[in-house]
Amino acid sequence: MTALPTVQITRRIDPHLSVDRYDPEGELMLLHFGPQHPSTHGVFRMDLYLDGEKVVKVVPHVGYLHRAVEKLCETLAYVQITPIVDKNDYVAPMTNEQALNMAFEAALKLEVPRRARWMRTIFAELQRIASHLLWLGTFALDLGGALGGGSTVFLHCFRERELVLDLFEEVTGARFHYNTHTIGGNRHDLPAGWSAKVHAALDLIGPRIDEYEAMTLQNRIFLDRTAGVGTLDAELALELGITGPILRACGVDHDLRRDAPFHAYDEVKVRVVTAQGGDCLARARVRLGEMRESVRLVREMVDGVPEGSINSGKPVKLPVQTKIPPGQVYVAIETPRGELGSYLISDGTQFPYRLKIRPPSLHALSALPYVIPGGTVSDAVAILGSMDPIMGEVDR
Amino acid sequence: MSEGVVHGAVYSVLIVTVVLTATAMALWFERKFAARLQTRLGPTMVGPSGLLQPVADLLKLLQKEDIVPENADPAIFNLVPPLAALVALGAAAVVPFSPSVVASDLDVGVLYVLAVGAVTVLPVFGAGWASNNKLALLGGMRAVAQSISYEVPLLLAAMVPVILSGSLRLGTIVQTQADHHWFVVWPFFIGLPAFGIFVLAMLAEANRIPFDIPEAESELVAGVTTEYTGMKFAIFLMAEYIHTLVASAVGAALFLGGWDGPFRPGLHWMVLKTLLLFTGLYWIRWSLLRFRADQLMGLCWKVLVPTGVLLVGAAAVWVVFR
Amino acid sequence: MKGYLSSAARALATSFHNLLRKPVTVEFPKVIRPRAERYRASFALLHEDDGDEACIGCLQCERICPSQVIAIKAGGKRESPISGKKRGYADDFVLDLNACIYCELCVQVCPTDAIVMTREPELPAYGREDLVLTMARLYANEKSKHRAWGDATRLNGMQVPPKPPKVEATAAAPAKPAPAPSAGAAAATTSPSPGAAAGPAPSAGTAAPVAPSSPGAASVAPAAEGGSPAGPGGKGTT
Repeated sequence: MTALPTVQITRRIDPHLSVDRYDPEGELMLLHFGPQHPSTHGVFRMDLYLDGEKVVKVVPHVGYLHRAVEKLCETLAYVQITPIVDKNDYVAPMTNEQALNMAFEAALKLEVPRRARWMRTIFAELQRIASHLLWLGTFALDLGGALGGGSTVFLHCFRERELVLDLFEEVTGARFHYNTHTIGGNRHDLPAGWSAKVHAALDLIGPRIDEYEAMTLQNRIFLDRTAGVGTLDAELALELGITGPILRACGVDHDLRRDAPFHAYDEVKVRVVTAQGGDCLARARVRLGEMRESVRLVREMVDGVPEGSINSGKPVKLPVQTKIPPGQVYVAIETPRGELGSYLISDGTQFPYRLKIRPPSLHALSALPYVIPGGTVSDAVAILGSMDPIMGEVDR
Repeated sequence: MSEGVVHGAVYSVLIVTVVLTATAMALWFERKFAARLQTRLGPTMVGPSGLLQPVADLLKLLQKEDIVPENADPAIFNLVPPLAALVALGAAAVVPFSPSVVASDLDVGVLYVLAVGAVTVLPVFGAGWASNNKLALLGGMRAVAQSISYEVPLLLAAMVPVILSGSLRLGTIVQTQADHHWFVVWPFFIGLPAFGIFVLAMLAEANRIPFDIPEAESELVAGVTTEYTGMKFAIFLMAEYIHTLVASAVGAALFLGGWDGPFRPGLHWMVLKTLLLFTGLYWIRWSLLRFRADQLMGLCWKVLVPTGVLLVGAAAVWVVFR
Repeated sequence: MKGYLSSAARALATSFHNLLRKPVTVEFPKVIRPRAERYRASFALLHEDDGDEACIGCLQCERICPSQVIAIKAGGKRESPISGKKRGYADDFVLDLNACIYCELCVQVCPTDAIVMTREPELPAYGREDLVLTMARLYANEKSKHRAWGDATRLNGMQVPPKPPKVEATAAAPAKPAPAPSAGAAAATTSPSPGAAAGPAPSAGTAAPVAPSSPGAASVAPAAEGGSPAGPGGKGTT
């Protein structure tokens, strides 16, 4: 990580502020934001202590979407785990599958063939575009309302997202939750004519990103709502384990794709997008920049996918019986939300002993008690939207 | 005296009927227009090109369960929705739709319109209070702050045509514009900014985006209307449409020349201008993001009010030295 | 104030521009968006070419299903009414689409290509019972629904580069050791994408596509040298 001038906040908000001592007369209003709320990006509850419109203390509560995925995986064979963890980060399923299968491959010391690595890179970048498009749509909804300007941006973003999902449908057969990765490589190969379709889709998406920038980053109302709102300093972000676009918006130049390359990222140059300021506007800038960068990367890579097999392992008669020798391994990849890690402890049987998933959104949410107090309720919504949490991976 | 009462009664019923019908049409129009702005189609299934969609919406809302929260104030809770619609309709009483079609051309027409506009905040606040819901309360408080603040630019902007025409009576204002020029056309350097301020203040009074912070869905679920279900919610929605329609009509009368037109002045010009203004308001609604509460206030007090004062002064100077 | 006016103007202009664009709505159900060839929606059980049921009741799909939606009553080995040989059967096969996660693992693991997915555009039902696919319905889907592209042989075939047939092995043997990923390059000429052309078994399938290139078996080597190190093996992908 290179040291860039980052935002410094000298007086940090105390998230453990004792409301009883701060407000003995009980004049603060406690507002439960969620779990049923149009803007909480899933089932998530925030207790906001309000002094009028100003937020004094925030207590986030997670766990409403806990489905015991990690425990369930302890009873599933390795090849069955992939479609289950698809549903963690349900907005970027490709990267979920990739993280898990990379962990299994690392434990088995399997090397993924080059073609599969290139395909995984292309899928990950296309998924990044789709995920950031969804983020942009929902962020505009948070700022502008479901009946109003926000929904216009939302529908435009989903129009483009459909193009990416159609591409995935051509390859894997599913628009969401693909189950296209497996231990040793991929399951579906690229059909004929796919790269032409990719180029056609990117020709539509590329110019639309300019339109989105005009509608957001150059829109005065958007700038008013996001500039200086929810400033997160880099030191706190690093302390809390925040990675991904949020960290890069604080000025820290850290991207796993470049610093700890996986898939085929060592064969292409990834231009990491950072921004100064650490506020919602910086995060928006980083994500829009990442979208452009992903479009460029996919254009560069999709015609040059090397020949070869897409799976290094032999297809086994009984894939359920794949056993991984005892050991533990941690593998991390860069998803649209940050560093998604899989920690696998295997014991020689066909089931994992422990499978832990390190979700990036959980760490992003842990920053909320620090950045929301001081703003208004509207700011709370904007900050939560800019953190881009996906409760599926927060709660698993 | 009695003739005036009969005249007023007949035209009142007529105007209310027309406005309510227009509200239903406005529902359809808004959905189609918003859909086209978002490159989609809007209602297509119910009736030809979705024209019966408002009927379907009404039937749907009618058959929903009517829930009154346990600790809500039942009197205010139940009273507020029809009150909102009635008050929104009230301003239509003085609007001259044509030289002969006007329910009651009061001598203090503009004052009446502004007063009615001020009263529209009370049902909203009542809903926020009576719902016994913190989200609704927040919405109600925001509505009060916003509406009361934006009364001032609305008043200042409405003063400009009053000064330029020399009368508070809407009929006289429209007649003056018919005789000379529409106020947005000449003097445009006074009329056009005043019209702009009037539109913005009107948007704020009607709680429309970009000023819809009281009913911000993404923040306050449904703002003041959170606890309302079924028909009461439908009436609130209707009240919003009525308010926008009537405010468009008032704006058309004050600034755009009312029933005046290049050839054959009459009712159709008024309808056309109201529709145009209405479309413009929806265009703004479906394109812009919303302001935060303090930015909204800042815009009002720091930008619109000084400009309004300047414009009133300029209008007075103009009249003196014309 | 100026910033607000220009931003508002630009936002309004963008909206207006969209007003003039053709709507992207697909008017369902008048128009049904075509699904991809590999689209996975529902299931079908197949018969063999000779009319016998393909499913041998090996219970592999039941074992691999992560959601455990398949329930099979294995029928044990019986004499086939068509071929006369003793083979396994499934007496009952129930697939609960309510809980299925459409992961395609059961399709991949079937040794006889008995279960495949179908690509119908939508799966509406009036009740949960309608979404439980009984054996009769699964066999009915074989004829009544469009099949998805993937069956076990094709899916597995995509993952393994087909071996070149023994006839070419001797001719290509001198060329083979030269470029390192020659096995991959040999697959390049047959190319991974027409996995359908690869057919049921690697050896049988590659006889056809490799035959035209047999005089070019020596050309495999230069093509491989030209192809793989340079990276853009664009010949095969599109």
